[in-house]
Amino acid sequence: MGKIVYDVQYQTSMAFLISYYFYLTGLSAGSFMISTLSYGFGFEKFKPAGKIGVVVAVILLLMAPQFLLMQVAWPIKSVWNHFVYLNPVSAMTYGAFLLMLYPVNSIIYGIFMFKGNKKWTRIFGTIGIPLALAVHGYTGWILALGVARDYWNTGLMPIVFLFSAMVSGISMMILLIMIRDYFFTKSRDVNYDLIYSLAKILGWLLVVDLFLVFCDYSVLLYSKLEGQEVAHFMLFGKMFLGFVVLENLIGKVIPLVIVMVPKFRENNYLLILAAVMNMIGILAMRIVTVYGGQVLPLM
Amino acid sequence: MSKEKKDTQLPRWGMVIDLNKCIGCHTCEIACKVQNDVPLGIWRTWVKEIEKGKYPNVVRAFRPTLCNHCENPVCVKVCPVHASYQREDGIVMVDPHRCVGCRYCMAACPYEVRYVHPQKGIIDKCDFCYHRVEQGLQPACVEACPTSARVFGNLNDPKSEVSQLIATNAVQNLKTDMGTGPRVYYIGLDQATMEIKREVEFVWEK
Ligand code: SF4
Ligand code: SF4
Repeated sequence: MGKIVYDVQYQTSMAFLISYYFYLTGLSAGSFMISTLSYGFGFEKFKPAGKIGVVVAVILLLMAPQFLLMQVAWPIKSVWNHFVYLNPVSAMTYGAFLLMLYPVNSIIYGIFMFKGNKKWTRIFGTIGIPLALAVHGYTGWILALGVARDYWNTGLMPIVFLFSAMVSGISMMILLIMIRDYFFTKSRDVNYDLIYSLAKILGWLLVVDLFLVFCDYSVLLYSKLEGQEVAHFMLFGKMFLGFVVLENLIGKVIPLVIVMVPKFRENNYLLILAAVMNMIGILAMRIVTVYGGQVLPLM
Repeated sequence: MSKEKKDTQLPRWGMVIDLNKCIGCHTCEIACKVQNDVPLGIWRTWVKEIEKGKYPNVVRAFRPTLCNHCENPVCVKVCPVHASYQREDGIVMVDPHRCVGCRYCMAACPYEVRYVHPQKGIIDKCDFCYHRVEQGLQPACVEACPTSARVFGNLNDPKSEVSQLIATNAVQNLKTDMGTGPRVYYIGLDQATMEIKREVEFVWEK
């Protein structure tokens, strides 16, 4: 093999802004789903999470596209052109529609919820679930259809993104419900029944998430050269800290142990720690996937 | 015009680069920069230089790099606003009025030949000097090459120099496994020169 003597610098196409955008849409989709557990599916236990879930989902989803627009050089033109020169085979086209439909639906759902109209809340909650799945699933598709990068180009990508969205969303809900119950109620009693149920769901979703990562990597390590290279880069190379330590150890494995062992779970400090660590880990996951997935040279 | 007639009459532009003739002088790089007003920090075409072997048994190899004007371009597929498009004569273009600078095409192109224009924020890449080609001239890099290593022409015409070169030489395209159908052909491209990768500077090293 040879050695490069002269070559030019290449630019990074997507990095932090897109990672934050993916992170916030993920949190939004996750909290929306928790909100629909009671109002859409009728699990009464989760009712106290319903209103806060939808409020947070809407706020986050209004924030998220700002990062996207900051990344795009011509933000206003981009919104206009998406409709006028629509390309039906680009994943990004659908994103533009979803980013408009999903918050509108969430707002309508929230209004009915606050008005106490059960029937319409359930209807809009049910419409919202596929929308929430789509709005976050499509971010995975955007990467998966970036066919040049082996790390991205897998059918698992949208699913990996959905599960990481749900875990980070639940962690955020655990923290927010604790804060709300402790600081903003007169009695100051935290609804532990709800918190522990959420923690258990978090645990099982983390198991699925880790399993998906395992599937992805076991295939990458056996795949063609570029796939092997990127897997080594993530597992043993310069992304070790980001991928192994931050994303998986701090972000998933330690929180999993905490929420699965009843003694740890019932310790408030540990539970808060688990939720915070998980939120940091999923942010790391977005950056590792978006930046780390494309930084290796193709040519 | 019947369809048959149209297909044979329309040119399909392509390029053949003879690496045996390339002397690594970077003239094409400069000619392109001047012709297309390509700003500092980005390139529409450039010459990779590779050192093969171990000292003292070393040899230099060169590979001029540019957009492959693929037959089935991924960049066109992923562009959400049809800013990247393929002309009937095969040239893959970026419409500067439509491009919004989302960089999706950059992430999808397997050849790393798309750049963000530092002032305009939109995508800049080789367009085979279509403005010259339409006037019957050669692209600037082809005209500037002192050893005629680059040859440009109509792939649909069996008598053109490119077609003749492709017919009579062993030629290779880059990354045919991506299904993009590149239309830049290389003569004398070996494995090492094809597979060599640029060096990367990570964000935390900057
Ligand atoms: S080389 Fe890249 S930019 Fe050029 S046509 Fe092919 S996919 Fe598009
Ligand atoms: S950067 Fe421009 S050409 Fe590339 S996909 Fe986005 S709009 Fe299309």
